[in-house]
Amino acid sequence: MKIERNLEEHSLYLNMGPQHPSTHGVLRVILKLDGEYIEEAEPVLGYIHRMHEKMGENRTYAQYLPNMGRVDYLSALSYNQCYVGAVERLTGIAPPPRAEYIRVITTELNRLSSHLLWFGAYVLDLGGFTPFLYSFDDREHILDLLESITGSRLTYCYFRFGGVSKDITDDFITGTRAFIKRLRMHLPMYETLVTKNVIFINRVKEVGIITPEAARRYGVTGPALRGSGIKYDVRKNEPYSIYPEVDFDIPVQDGCDALSRYIVRMLEMEQSMRIIEQALDKLPEGPVMAPKVPKKVKPPKGDCYFAVETARGDFGIYIVSDGTETAYRIKLRTPGFSNLSIFAEISRGTLLQDAISTMGSLDLVIPEIDR
Amino acid sequence: MGTEDTKIKLIKPGVTSPEAAAKIGEVEPPLVRLAVVEEILNLCRANSLWPMTFGLACCAIEMMATGMARFDMSRFGAEVFRPSPRQADLMIVAGTISKKMAPAVVTLYDQMPAPKWVIAMGNCAISGGPFLFKGQYGIIEGAVKLIPVDVYVPGCPPRPEGLLEGIFKLQEKITGKRFWPVAQRKSHVAK
Amino acid sequence: MLLSKTKTAIESIFPLEIKEADYARVGYHLEVILDAEKVVSLAKVMMAQGFYLEDVTAIDLNPDMEVIYHYAHTEGCCRVTGRAYTPRHAPEVPTIAGIYSGANWHERETHDFFGITFKDHPYLVPLLLPEDADFHPLVKEDGKVKQLKDIKRAEVKEQAGAPAAGEGKPAPAGGEKGEKA
Ligand code: SF4
Repeated sequence: MKIERNLEEHSLYLNMGPQHPSTHGVLRVILKLDGEYIEEAEPVLGYIHRMHEKMGENRTYAQYLPNMGRVDYLSALSYNQCYVGAVERLTGIAPPPRAEYIRVITTELNRLSSHLLWFGAYVLDLGGFTPFLYSFDDREHILDLLESITGSRLTYCYFRFGGVSKDITDDFITGTRAFIKRLRMHLPMYETLVTKNVIFINRVKEVGIITPEAARRYGVTGPALRGSGIKYDVRKNEPYSIYPEVDFDIPVQDGCDALSRYIVRMLEMEQSMRIIEQALDKLPEGPVMAPKVPKKVKPPKGDCYFAVETARGDFGIYIVSDGTETAYRIKLRTPGFSNLSIFAEISRGTLLQDAISTMGSLDLVIPEIDR
Repeated sequence: MGTEDTKIKLIKPGVTSPEAAAKIGEVEPPLVRLAVVEEILNLCRANSLWPMTFGLACCAIEMMATGMARFDMSRFGAEVFRPSPRQADLMIVAGTISKKMAPAVVTLYDQMPAPKWVIAMGNCAISGGPFLFKGQYGIIEGAVKLIPVDVYVPGCPPRPEGLLEGIFKLQEKITGKRFWPVAQRKSHVAK
Repeated sequence: MLLSKTKTAIESIFPLEIKEADYARVGYHLEVILDAEKVVSLAKVMMAQGFYLEDVTAIDLNPDMEVIYHYAHTEGCCRVTGRAYTPRHAPEVPTIAGIYSGANWHERETHDFFGITFKDHPYLVPLLLPEDADFHPLVKEDGKVKQLKDIKRAEVKEQAGAPAAGEGKPAPAGGEKGEKA
């Protein structure tokens, strides 16, 4: 783990970050290089540590809701879902079915926007600028849709204990259907533009190998794990909300490399669209808030764990309640933290340029790692 | 911890007095001052701002969105995002500055060639925003505690239009003149 | 199946207590209470059973801090919560970084937040806090720290209240959620 700094050696120490365009935020990696090869890498975290866990102990349950939009701002709704899910499990509040459907629809839209942004940014890291423009354009359409019902573009705070804050409109439903049609048309274009591009393939194929065994040792989850041939998705393994009622597949690739992870994410977009379509078809009528949810949520004493699948992997919240309005302890288990911890091992012995494609393929959002 | 001593402690090891700390970021006045030339130069500067690619947190995504297809900052002459501070003259502080990050922010600012400007984007960069609470131990309560800020863009995160407006304000500050019409709200027009 | 297999495997290391939890209410299936020394044995068992480590964390309690390990399985749905206690004034547990490499960072983070020493940890320096940090932000002030009994679910109440409305909250609602999950 630790890099010994021995000045008599002929190795070169390179400090990547904290301000580096390809680390997507403020991650710092100390690299020990032998020529162009990485001998060792040591990620240094904490440059955007925002004390979310401490705030959880200082704020009431409802006051902590906005934080969930800011831990991982790219898939904020999954975080919303996890937190409200945990508090609902703790208190026994049950959201009405319509709310559950809305939650899934919006969360999957959010996942699409996250994957689209990742797609653009990843190719940008590898030197291709154009896909970034395309994917951002598509993403803006999702943001418009979500903005119309949640009121914000990025840091959503839409779910409430026992439901969602606002019902979806007919415009939203038609807009979503139209968007899915549009994205279905665009995905093949991305494929011809990027997935089949020789330069791209050469940069990602057999790069950043994560063996299934290493993935388990480090607790890697999400597309990074599914790119190593392990079919694990919290939505299937530990079903929550209405995921058991919709039909979708878990794409798995067993190349273990950056290309596999890339393909998994691209395939996941199609699955998300399937989920949204089915949920829209089945969307029941009814209220979107459970009746008689107390203004001040005061869960009984005890603890509970709730896990969801975000765009980056298994996110879990562990809440310990002491029976007051404020949690005694809130632990956020973020997927990026575990996914990044494997970086030191998989980058050893690879080329410096591969470090960029490896890191990008893990889909890092640094504030989520540092919390 | 008081404001002043935070500032001194965080700025580089050599800087010990408040006066020295206050000097950081100041531009020395030019030897010869030619008003007309200066005006033309300012006009050029204002319309070709080179921001630094420097994202800290959530707000950085909105900064990216501002530069991308729909909002297209390049229409207003500020699209050349530079990864290196040495090539940039505008720093958009987009996100929360943690105590660990603060020295790096100051270094980046120092590395930018003058004349340079700073936009504090988002509540975090203005005051610490949502992460400001009693007993907080990890963040700097606003970019202004570290570096001089020219324009504040509130929001959490500000919309891309907000950042664009911030850029217009900065152009106004540089040249003393606003180039783009003020957006009229529909309701105002109706009256 | 998975659950009973795991339970038998864990019983082989003689934990202080092992009990099946109500998944619909707490989100984990097995709760294992261990001697601090046994956390390594638990990690070994979990590794052999094919679990992955979700997180390592702690809760500040008086007089003993609680160190928590969450393990989950990639096939099927099974989560195991391991708990160990260590004195608050000098918290120390052995590291499991030798078994689960990912624990390295989780333990460093827990060390940052709570000051818990992980014995034999390869590199126990601050991860999220600045390198020279000498404080542990999640350690509570003396007045605010609670005891274990203050955060534990009231067993008797739960049994009595489960069929009807327990603790003023509709218990059937919890059951409904369970069915769905
Ligand atoms: S102001 Fe809000 S959106 Fe911007 S960085 Fe801070 S928390 Fe994130």
